[in-house]
Amino acid sequence: MSNNRPLSPHLSIHKKILTSVFSIFHRFTGIFLSLGLFLIILWIFLIALGPNYFNLFKYISTNIFFKSILFFWTVSVFYHLFNGVRYLYWTFGKGMELKTVYFAGYIVLALTFISSVLVWFKI
Amino acid sequence: MKIYAKKWITQRVTALILIPLIFWFVNQSISFYSMNYQQIIFFFSSIFNATLFYIMMISMIIHAKLGCETITEDYISSKSCKNIIKLFINLINYTFIIIVTLSILKITFIS
Repeated sequence: MSNNRPLSPHLSIHKKILTSVFSIFHRFTGIFLSLGLFLIILWIFLIALGPNYFNLFKYISTNIFFKSILFFWTVSVFYHLFNGVRYLYWTFGKGMELKTVYFAGYIVLALTFISSVLVWFKI
Repeated sequence: MKIYAKKWITQRVTALILIPLIFWFVNQSISFYSMNYQQIIFFFSSIFNATLFYIMMISMIIHAKLGCETITEDYISSKSCKNIIKLFINLINYTFIIIVTLSILKITFIS
């Protein structure tokens, strides 16, 4: 059954309008967050292993490369969450008028920006 | 119910579970950043915190698995390649669930 599913049109085929860009980014951030799961699993695993292993993670977490990954993780998690709520509304057939679709898109961007800035100011 | 309908519903149910839990986790993570080992162990010694974290992780793993599978089915044309990737996703999925379960059990009840 699964092998008979038609392929989606590849990304280069889409005209770059806001709705398609939002959808593409939802998937990109989804893949990025799935990779980020490795870090959370590693974190909890090292805590379980003991203080020496946890300190190793603490040491790595001060690295600028790690911090940049964490920054993009924060932005991705908020974008994916707020845009996901927008999609959940669509699931129930709500907010699908073109004007609302665009307006909700801009709200998603604003909320992502505000939440990410708030989190990084608190750190 | 067909398998795709089940997957579609599970994807949305896990999304709904994750909405409040992600806010909780991100808020906690800000404190985790400056916590030492003992403070983190103390945090997870609370059954409430450990349960919330565990529910969040399991929902996240399932949600990520379903999402990655959908993307694979949408964009990979080769059947064998598609099946290998899906097998790989499943393997990682179960490994993650085992690691998280054992880790949380050890931190909460043994450490």
